[in-house]
Amino acid sequence: MIEPEEFGSASRRMVLTVLVFSAFVTLFVRLYQLQLLYHVEFGKESEKNSVRAVVRDPVRGYMFDRNGKLVVDVGPFYSVTVTPSEFDTSNTEYLAMLLDMDSETIRDRVNRGRAISRFAPVRVKRDVDFKTLSSIEEHLFLMPGVSYDVETKRVYTSQARAPHLLGYCKEITDVQLARAGSTYQQGDIIGSAGLEAYYETFLRGEKGYEFISINSKGHVLGSLDDGKRDILPKEGFDLVLSADFDVQTFAESLMTNYRGALVAMDPNTGGILALVCKPDFDPSVLSGVTPADEWNRLNSDPDKPLFNRATMTRYPPGSTIKMMLAAAALQEGIIDEHYRITCYGAFRFGNRIFKDTHIHGSTNIVEAIQKSCNVFFYQLILKVGFDKWVEYAHRFGFGEATGFDLGEEVTGLIPTPEYYDRVYGKGKWTLGNLVSLGIGQGEIGVSPLQMARYAAALANGGILLRPHSVDRIRNKRTNRMDAVEDTAISIGIDKHNMDLIREGMRRCVESPGGTGSLARIPGIVSAGKTGTAQNPHGEDHSWYVGFAPFNNPRIAIAVLIENAGFGGTKAAPVAGLVMEKYLFGEIKRNIFIPGGEPGARRDSAVASVGELRR
Amino acid sequence: MFNYFKEYFDFKTFAIALCLVAIGLLSIYSATFDINNGANFHRQAIWAGIGFVALLIAASVPLRTLQRLAIPLYIGTLLFLAFVLVVGSTIKGSRSWFAVGGLAMGRLGGQPSEFAKVFTIIAFAAYMTRPEVSVNNMRHLVVGLLIFAFPMALILLEPDLGTTVVFFIALLPLLYWAGSSNFILIAIVTPLIVAAGALLGTSYFLIASLIAAGLLYYFRENRFAAAVAFGITLAVGLSVQMVYERMAPHQQRRISTFLNPDADPLGAGYNVMQSKIAIGSGGLLGKGYLRGTQTQLNYIPEQWTDFIFCVPGEEFGFLGSCIVLGLFAWLLLHGITVAGLARSHFSGLAAIGITGMLTTHVLINIGMCMGLMPVIGIPLPYLSYGGSALVADMMMAGLLMNFYATRKEY
Repeated sequence: MIEPEEFGSASRRMVLTVLVFSAFVTLFVRLYQLQLLYHVEFGKESEKNSVRAVVRDPVRGYMFDRNGKLVVDVGPFYSVTVTPSEFDTSNTEYLAMLLDMDSETIRDRVNRGRAISRFAPVRVKRDVDFKTLSSIEEHLFLMPGVSYDVETKRVYTSQARAPHLLGYCKEITDVQLARAGSTYQQGDIIGSAGLEAYYETFLRGEKGYEFISINSKGHVLGSLDDGKRDILPKEGFDLVLSADFDVQTFAESLMTNYRGALVAMDPNTGGILALVCKPDFDPSVLSGVTPADEWNRLNSDPDKPLFNRATMTRYPPGSTIKMMLAAAALQEGIIDEHYRITCYGAFRFGNRIFKDTHIHGSTNIVEAIQKSCNVFFYQLILKVGFDKWVEYAHRFGFGEATGFDLGEEVTGLIPTPEYYDRVYGKGKWTLGNLVSLGIGQGEIGVSPLQMARYAAALANGGILLRPHSVDRIRNKRTNRMDAVEDTAISIGIDKHNMDLIREGMRRCVESPGGTGSLARIPGIVSAGKTGTAQNPHGEDHSWYVGFAPFNNPRIAIAVLIENAGFGGTKAAPVAGLVMEKYLFGEIKRNIFIPGGEPGARRDSAVASVGELRR
Repeated sequence: MFNYFKEYFDFKTFAIALCLVAIGLLSIYSATFDINNGANFHRQAIWAGIGFVALLIAASVPLRTLQRLAIPLYIGTLLFLAFVLVVGSTIKGSRSWFAVGGLAMGRLGGQPSEFAKVFTIIAFAAYMTRPEVSVNNMRHLVVGLLIFAFPMALILLEPDLGTTVVFFIALLPLLYWAGSSNFILIAIVTPLIVAAGALLGTSYFLIASLIAAGLLYYFRENRFAAAVAFGITLAVGLSVQMVYERMAPHQQRRISTFLNPDADPLGAGYNVMQSKIAIGSGGLLGKGYLRGTQTQLNYIPEQWTDFIFCVPGEEFGFLGSCIVLGLFAWLLLHGITVAGLARSHFSGLAAIGITGMLTTHVLINIGMCMGLMPVIGIPLPYLSYGGSALVADMMMAGLLMNFYATRKEY
């Protein structure tokens, strides 16, 4: 049906050619007009009144703790600059003296800047203290081309360090720059870890522009239209954290001499109340100019202070996992509260003997949790079976990312029959491996964060929450406060079954013969479970998970202390004290604080942390 | 040997495209060598290398293969465009006001739309030149328009109004070449005129409607079709107005700035003022390479993207600008010649589509730099900074070379 005379006909070709041709003629005429007819006017304009947009950085958002206490602030950060085109090089020595710098370094920096642009100020010294700045300011009139600019840096106003939670900002790297695109420029500061990185888009704000007139030599003539056209930078959003920084400070002091992690969570919302990783570092060393050797020292420290042990470690949970197995057995109807196993202190399976710490005699599920009877759980996991065990482990959030708003986290490892087939080969492993899993030993790996979430689920009767460290975000322009939504999934354990497990945990702390008695909090009933993770490389790791108050839990906690031996002696007391601090606001008993004086009260514990920060 | 070469190698397109890329690289270097250690220049140089490969591939694909691949490539592009939108909205979904905070989603979205330009044209040409298809048949015309409408809708959602408009304009020469009647062309343009009028206000809407009615009546083929076209035109105009009134204020502002850039002197208006000064101050011979004060003082934000024409304008003056303009004019007029030479309807129509797409970009972009056109953020082919655009543009040059080499094939 194509009409050959119309499709691409000569006349149509001519029409298009004429159209394109005349459009170009118009452009040529316009070009002639601009460049030849009005050249003089535009030339003057360009000489006299060229306008330059200078970027003005926004103020980064603040962070507040759950009680509204400012914990991350913003402070000034001064840099002395030199504009090469205006600078009289004979002043170099004098400037070097004022700045207490090598004059060669200054000369070098100015020359390098000149090679790039004569008109752009070069920062010769960053993070200048206030005294130096005052003396520079007094001598500015003697040294044309010398000036200073103000940037901002993070200031930490709390006694807590919390570097793994708060994170830090750094100058943007080339890789980040390539990924982020035009929002950023070289030299910009960007959140590089923790909350600073995760909430970067909220915290950073929007850049503003100041329009200044400059002549063709690059001299600044003044602001354009008295600054009426300037675009003000827009402040970043504030974060309101779920953490309580008094508790955080206290928890950090308790963990001072340990290696490990502590995560405390609100079992009703999933809000993180405290997150401690030790060893740690002082985030303020990274807030201004970080000397390269300081950064290298942090990076190469064998203690790995930059490593987030709360979300990135993967250890066997030891006996703390027993409640999960108990939940599976009860919920699947495999046992009930009347079911009893007699413990003779060891369990023979095939030709292997699995040991227990004591001879517990006839034991039901509640007593088995209370006394951490291994024999009970060795037999129980064989009844529950591998597949159901794996299913319940995942229901409790193990082997899966938690969705935590710090970004980096490990999923951990919940072994499956397929996993063992892969590692050991088909038929090369036995149910003996499963027996070990029953008491949380072997290939199973969990993070302290997952354990805190697990403790919270036990506290709230079986609801799995998404842990989050930010509760609300405030838009400072509209003053609107947006709450971060809580995400909750029911694990699906009946109340009756949950009550049995919780009763076992209560007795573990409160009854004689319980393994967690050191976690007891005066004046309140709490519940918990100790754990000891076997460590082939050295001393065992100590675990504690718990919650308080028993009837209406407001805090759930997981504590991991590496190489500390039995969970009941090291991790349990730390957990008890942190929960007490959160629930009562203070510690009413005499306590031993690692790093502090024996028997010292709370205040001196805090003081000892204060010392460490200096 | 030489005759063979002359017969099958479109040296003109090849040389002009490479010259323009070289001028682009020089200009980008001038505008950005003091920013990010010249990272933009290096990145663009790498993209030019990739683009060269794309050019060679596009120049050597057999016509039949290209025709057969047209629809799969087109569908792939649509999926890519949709994917970008979905990824964007899931990110928004988890935090509903992420989008308001201004994420860089537009940048991510900008990339597939460059390739959509090429593949939409190819798909349209492949469909319209099927033996049983005619542009003047209502059903076939609707299919052809839909081929353009899908990518346009996806790009509009990104949101990239400028590129959507470019697609629309580039559609017109395609229809014209395919032999559409004047009435069809008019009926396609009138809704746009009326929609623009509707956004400017009621009186503009009425005037635009009157003009539309006049045009449709004058070019009518039968009264019924004219009446239907006028009805559609009115419906589009009215619905645009209704949609506009329900938009959030910042979206309304984006549209009003598009229609009337002078209303926003700090944004688009500021750029045009400075861009005119840069070009005007260039004079006859320019200020010399790397010596343009406007360029070197970086007073035009992101000059290396949409306002790259200022660099040759300021640093090489009237002479330099004329060379750039001349190269473009030569390339585009040659593109029409190639379309005319091609015996295959498919390659002829595709050549016109490519030429039309490039022409639209060149005229709007350079016109915008000289204050003749509204500021819509579209790049100048071959010169502007941007990897996917450069690769897509070089692919188009390769296709033109291909159509030249195969001009005697049916």
